[in-house]
Amino acid sequence: MRAIVLVGALASAVFLFASASPAGAQAGDAQAGRAVYERKCALCHGEKGDGKGPGADLLDPRPRDFTTGIYKIRTTVNKTPTDRDLFDVITRGMPGTFMPAWDVLPEKDRWNLVAYLKAFAADKFKEAPKKQELPKEVASSPESIRRGKEMYEAIECNKCHGAEGRADGPSRPELKDEWGHPIRPANLTKRWTFRGGGGRAEIAMRLTTGVLGTPMPSFIDSVEKPDDIWHLANYLASLGPESPHYATLLTAEAVNGDIPADPVAEFWKRMAPQNIPLVGQVTIDPRNFNPSIDMVALRAAWNDKEVAFHVTWDDPTQSGADAAKKASPDVVSLQFPQKVAEGADRPYFLMGGDADAVYLLRWENGKGATEASANGPTRIVPLAGGEVTGQAAYANGQYRLVLKRPLVSKGPDRPTFQPAVFLPIAFQAWDGGAGETGAKMSLTSWYYLRLEEPQSSRRFVVPPVVAILTFAAMLLVVRVANRRA
Amino acid sequence: MRRALGVVLAAALVAGVALFVQRPDPVDAQGGGTVEVTVTYNGAPVVEKLKVNKDTEKCGTEAVIEKVVVGGNKGLANAVVSVPTAKGAPKMAKATVDQHGCKFVPHVTAMTPGDLELKNSDDILHNIHTYSTANPSINKAQPKFKKVMMEKFEKPEIIKLTCDVHSWMLGWVAVLPTPFFAVSDASGAAKIENVPAGKQTVEVWHETLGKQTKEVDVKAGQVVKVGFEMKK
Repeated sequence: MRAIVLVGALASAVFLFASASPAGAQAGDAQAGRAVYERKCALCHGEKGDGKGPGADLLDPRPRDFTTGIYKIRTTVNKTPTDRDLFDVITRGMPGTFMPAWDVLPEKDRWNLVAYLKAFAADKFKEAPKKQELPKEVASSPESIRRGKEMYEAIECNKCHGAEGRADGPSRPELKDEWGHPIRPANLTKRWTFRGGGGRAEIAMRLTTGVLGTPMPSFIDSVEKPDDIWHLANYLASLGPESPHYATLLTAEAVNGDIPADPVAEFWKRMAPQNIPLVGQVTIDPRNFNPSIDMVALRAAWNDKEVAFHVTWDDPTQSGADAAKKASPDVVSLQFPQKVAEGADRPYFLMGGDADAVYLLRWENGKGATEASANGPTRIVPLAGGEVTGQAAYANGQYRLVLKRPLVSKGPDRPTFQPAVFLPIAFQAWDGGAGETGAKMSLTSWYYLRLEEPQSSRRFVVPPVVAILTFAAMLLVVRVANRRA
Repeated sequence: MRRALGVVLAAALVAGVALFVQRPDPVDAQGGGTVEVTVTYNGAPVVEKLKVNKDTEKCGTEAVIEKVVVGGNKGLANAVVSVPTAKGAPKMAKATVDQHGCKFVPHVTAMTPGDLELKNSDDILHNIHTYSTANPSINKAQPKFKKVMMEKFEKPEIIKLTCDVHSWMLGWVAVLPTPFFAVSDASGAAKIENVPAGKQTVEVWHETLGKQTKEVDVKAGQVVKVGFEMKK
């Protein structure tokens, strides 16, 4: 009798255990996790797991304090994340933050880490995770996206995320996380920076559960119908690509006729953007560990007289120089070598060096376009007498700018733009509203820009003519051969 | 003799039953006393002001955050006064907080464990973000069409209410272990009725000035006055 009871208890225990661990989740070994943690995680998250590692103060968003047991990304109704949630964050990292993807670690190590992280807040994990179910999936369609947009406006996502989703809403400057640190809303047009992933289902889950410890609330009880969660997710997914598809080689299109100076002209919209990632300048002081501008999109065109650069970038705060408020202006700068040298030699990428100056095409909000030469970020000398022009438009958290210059140089301080040459180009940007000025900028290393050669209509004429001539010759050969026979 | 004993026993029994029956359910106690509390603060009011950059037609152009409200005779408003030693059935009246004019109204709500009704009469988005440890913390959007939400707070605790959309919005919900409570008015006065007679502890809590307690002797049918002077 006792044996039967025991077997029954055992069986039900096994059953309970099996049903409690979701597909693929493994029980980790906290002690083994500790060894990995101290090697890989403690630098930021601290040996005690309190988010106060030696590197923590440089990071924004700050590293998680595991002792709180509060996790942003979860698929549960209550605060407790599932083991799988933690495992996924370790594996994928937190896009848009300093938390890298740890998929380089063996899977076993990651499960052991999960167990160790939970041990930092054992009392918080006493409450079992309660799985959040999503409403039945609604496939994306124009109607669904339209309904999603309607909901976006009705529930006022724009208050934080902005009218077009570029994180420029009026509540942005007030937002704080649960520990009182300023926190930024997500730029909804850049899905690859979504902390919990940019897929539709992941977006729907974030809308449903909210993001714990941040101002982002749960919306599952706050939409008109549960379906709206999916309409919203479909709409958000329609605001931008899942991946930025960064360009490698940049090209300027050859154009017959005028190039519009207006950055919102149809001409520019027809051209595909070439996305270039920017990173914070961390080589010299003051370093910028948390750059505001992480990407610029370049469109470029040239004709027989001039070259034009159309630059688009997101900046949630439009700001000009204001000495009284100690405010810095928004600036973007395109960098070229002063002379296009033979071979692979290029000036130092960080605005040139002592011996090798760079040429800068700059645009500053409130001041307009200027030219400068530089031997480093602190040695910028304006160049007078140029013919650069600039026209910018700012709307809903985004700048669009056209910078134009004659192809031919006016002197030794400026390069001449020639077609079919790989011209080194680099970018720098400053978000004045985020306090970026001087060396505190975001930038790229050198890229190459190529002015495409004019595409004459010969390529449409020559191949068919050759084909016809060949065919005629064939006919001739056949006829001659037949006649001989 | 035997009869006398019987009478005495019967009398004792009647008295006992009577006593037992009379032992009141404290909420309805007719034998309870009234505690009249005056809360004062010998300091300046603390009022923060903030320029509003959105929803000005609902919120006004200037947000006023009243952290310490001092009225006539140094009376301190928005202090929660309770008698934690007095037990009784929870108050059945529903507690309500309204989000009105981009403020939590009332600024301080006291309740016994149970449901809290959250209203949004502003016709704009608010989000209810609670800071709590004993109860699950909540961060739920309340868009303009969601006029009423109900939330459960089952454990006694003082909970901070915020709205991330309007960062100046601040409110407090005191979930109390006793139904004997009141919130001080503009003159610093709070009245708690039907408090069970006997030695009781009166507690005062204020969001920035902290907590104080005092012992009082509550007598049935009488009013006992107690004053608190809050200090920084």
